[in-house]
Amino acid sequence: MAAIVKTSAQQPPSAGVPVDDTSNSNKSVPDVTNAKSASPRKRRPNYAQIHARPVPVVVHPLPAFIPHNPLSIVRIAIVMFSHSLWPPTSHDVVHKAYYSAETHSIHVTNPQSIRALWEHGFWGAGSLSRSEPAWLEQEKRKRGIDASQTSEEYTRKRREERRQFKLERAKVQRETIEQQLRDEGKLDASTSIDEVVSLRLNATVDAADGLVDNSASLSNGKPENIGTLESVVDESAHLETRVALKDVAVEIQDQEHLQLTPEEAFFLTYSLGSLQIYRGETALSSSYLLRLYCAYSAFPIPEDAESHLYTLYSLRERINNFSLGTSVIAPILPDNAFLLRYAVYHHFRSLGWVVRHGIKFACDFLLYQRGPVFAHAKFAVIIVPAYSHSYWSETPERKAETKAKESRDWWWLHRVNRVQTQVHKTLMLVYVEVPPPWDESFRKGGFAVDVGGALKRYKVREFIVRRWTPNRNRD
Amino acid sequence: MADEDEDLSHLRGPEPADIDLSDETQDFRFLDKLIVQDKGTLSLPKRGEKDFEPHATSLQLDTLEASRQAMHNVLSWTRTHTRKNHILGVYHTETNMAYVEKIKSQHFQTIGKAKGNILWLLPEEALFMVERGTLDCRWPVKQINDEEHESVRSEELAPMSLQAAYAAFIGFEGGIGGKLTLEMYTVYAGLKRSGYIVFRTGTWDDERAELQYPNLEKGKSTKRSSWSSYFSEVWQRLSKPSIPPLTASALQFGPLLKPGLYRNYADIYRLLQTIPTHDRKAPPEFMLTADSTNPFRITFDVYKAATKFKKSERGTPDFRISVINARETSIPTAAQLNDLLATMPYDPPNPADNMDRKLLHGSRNVILAVVDNGIPSYMRFADVPVSDERLYERSDRAPRGKGGGRQYNPARELRMVAELASETAQKSATSSLTDRLGRRLKPPPRGANIRDI
Repeated sequence: MAAIVKTSAQQPPSAGVPVDDTSNSNKSVPDVTNAKSASPRKRRPNYAQIHARPVPVVVHPLPAFIPHNPLSIVRIAIVMFSHSLWPPTSHDVVHKAYYSAETHSIHVTNPQSIRALWEHGFWGAGSLSRSEPAWLEQEKRKRGIDASQTSEEYTRKRREERRQFKLERAKVQRETIEQQLRDEGKLDASTSIDEVVSLRLNATVDAADGLVDNSASLSNGKPENIGTLESVVDESAHLETRVALKDVAVEIQDQEHLQLTPEEAFFLTYSLGSLQIYRGETALSSSYLLRLYCAYSAFPIPEDAESHLYTLYSLRERINNFSLGTSVIAPILPDNAFLLRYAVYHHFRSLGWVVRHGIKFACDFLLYQRGPVFAHAKFAVIIVPAYSHSYWSETPERKAETKAKESRDWWWLHRVNRVQTQVHKTLMLVYVEVPPPWDESFRKGGFAVDVGGALKRYKVREFIVRRWTPNRNRD
Repeated sequence: MADEDEDLSHLRGPEPADIDLSDETQDFRFLDKLIVQDKGTLSLPKRGEKDFEPHATSLQLDTLEASRQAMHNVLSWTRTHTRKNHILGVYHTETNMAYVEKIKSQHFQTIGKAKGNILWLLPEEALFMVERGTLDCRWPVKQINDEEHESVRSEELAPMSLQAAYAAFIGFEGGIGGKLTLEMYTVYAGLKRSGYIVFRTGTWDDERAELQYPNLEKGKSTKRSSWSSYFSEVWQRLSKPSIPPLTASALQFGPLLKPGLYRNYADIYRLLQTIPTHDRKAPPEFMLTADSTNPFRITFDVYKAATKFKKSERGTPDFRISVINARETSIPTAAQLNDLLATMPYDPPNPADNMDRKLLHGSRNVILAVVDNGIPSYMRFADVPVSDERLYERSDRAPRGKGGGRQYNPARELRMVAELASETAQKSATSSLTDRLGRRLKPPPRGANIRDI
């Protein structure tokens, strides 16, 4: 399957996949506001409506019962009657995806699926965007087709403003110092501060301290120069692209696809059943996917792990004993990184949190209460394996091995916590109890995994870690 | 939009709760005020503003010189025992404690244990008082009979130096690991100096503390009239279609959620909950065997300073602190943490609080004082009942629209900078603009920090 599906931007929804009408109607909201770009403040899209569904599954609630309106009972009755005759389904779409061994991620290429997965539960990330797949819109805007702004552009603007502010502030500070120097009679009205600073420093400080000199002159003199240079470069680049792109045909092909992490994809397939992962034309089962993700989460990965696994999978019914394959593919270890991560992911998702990958914040997962468009994540999750089961302390070798795996020094914890408080997150340590080995049947030729049974062996426990300062708790 | 955290964070300063001024380098000028001024005008010192780079003004050089001078003044101050507050104590070899004759002193309201006419001081208490210059501890005379003991006046005994006090009081107690370690003393002294009242938890003799059971309130049954309960029952049956229970095959091979009719998302979420988690309300259990070498044990009970504090009736401590040696231990394993928290009282959050506060509070909590070569760092570990906060059942899920923290407005800031600049130009004030900016601007600027540019 091709990595990039080429679809024109304005193409109507393809007939293959039915698209729910809510997402379509919602998409029109920003467009309407953009048309009236003359108004100074643009209305922000109604995120509460766009992201009304927390998971890509439809529910059919009964109409509200209003005590002072007897007719509402009739409405409830009608809905219940029609639901019993023609039961509606929760899964109106099953999205398609395929596994990419190179990036260890799962690719979704259908634009409708991409939109739906993002809108209903914030799954995955655009391959060419920061998070929400917005490459196409950004591209259109760059070429002047669309006037809307993506989040990346907002950020860029904000950064520019911030930089300007810093320059202004530095200037004001410099002027105060100059004023002070003039008051003290160390500076003529004509000379600039840089000369005085470097002169004085050279006079008083040894040559060995030239570093100070450098930094002082750097902080006083250079920022403006650098700033202007950068902005000039920036602007000329912008101009060039604009001029060049004006002539290019308006049709832009969407080069972007959605990448799901193995945890997200497995939750969508195994738990919700709203994603189907394909290899060529064959749909893959959860047992196979679990083995695949587990094989790819440990390092080093055997070169042909995927193809071997697939051969075993396709032969699983005909051959009962495949000693040939087991040498390449090992049974799933109980402390496999994917399993630990998935157990934690599943736990928080099933409690209603929006869980997103935490690599940018030096943690395993970020927990959003509703989703990234509504509010910042408050909690950062770090997974710590726990080997409390008596199996792990049976032999001295096992004890030593598990000790190495579960112990982290205090500097590590402080480091992690410092980083998290700096980005306004609270650190949540999640201990996952590692069960004794459970995938023994694999050696005997059982390919299938009892996924639910395996997952139920992993017990999670959450702790919140924060600094405590004596000076702030005295009252 | 998404993950916009990564851009915003640097615009805001760290949260006020995370700023610990004691981490910063001290400006000694404020100490000067403490000593020079008489008690009538004593006020809490304010810390100065940071300067980041030399800019050759006399003002800056003078400030620096003043700070240096203040430091020298402080260090050159001779500490003496005043006649009035002189307390004599005697070291007791058998128990490694010190005793003093019962005197009325402010210190003994929160320190020591009275037995008859004599007040006994634990090693850390005696050492702390010796170090702060309140107690004059003396070595005992060898081989004294009881009658003689009465006659020997403690003034005639050999005085104990501070070095000797450290050597004598730390690590020579009978019991587990010599009991008092230098780490424990560091934490004790630090907390005492911060104004807390600190006591040992228990006697430090037990292999481990007792389990603390949650006192779950009984009589939770809310009585409803039979009519309303009947209607609510009917309504529940109507509104919730019978959700098929998880079949074995669904659990085994997925999907957990079979296509069908679901009335609300809460039902779906309930169906998905398959990962077992720790039950915080259940009576706790130990996971490890009793072991006196387990470093994770409660060391100190800490009380906030209160006016009517009685040694005999301490009440429940405000904080419980476990002292840990950072070099000898790694972060606690799940079993160690479980056992430590099992000995802490069940302290659920206020149910009226919002969800974030409830999560931050946790159901049980402990403060670990991690000491690395004399520097303590306090970490609060809270056992969080995340599963009890059913996010999916909340109808008021956050305010509508795009929230997320304070909005940063650069235009406003620039205006303020301009205002300040004109102000200073008029007054030609001597105070540096950086200070004033620092007070008036949000986010707090990092001065003309070289690293920023």
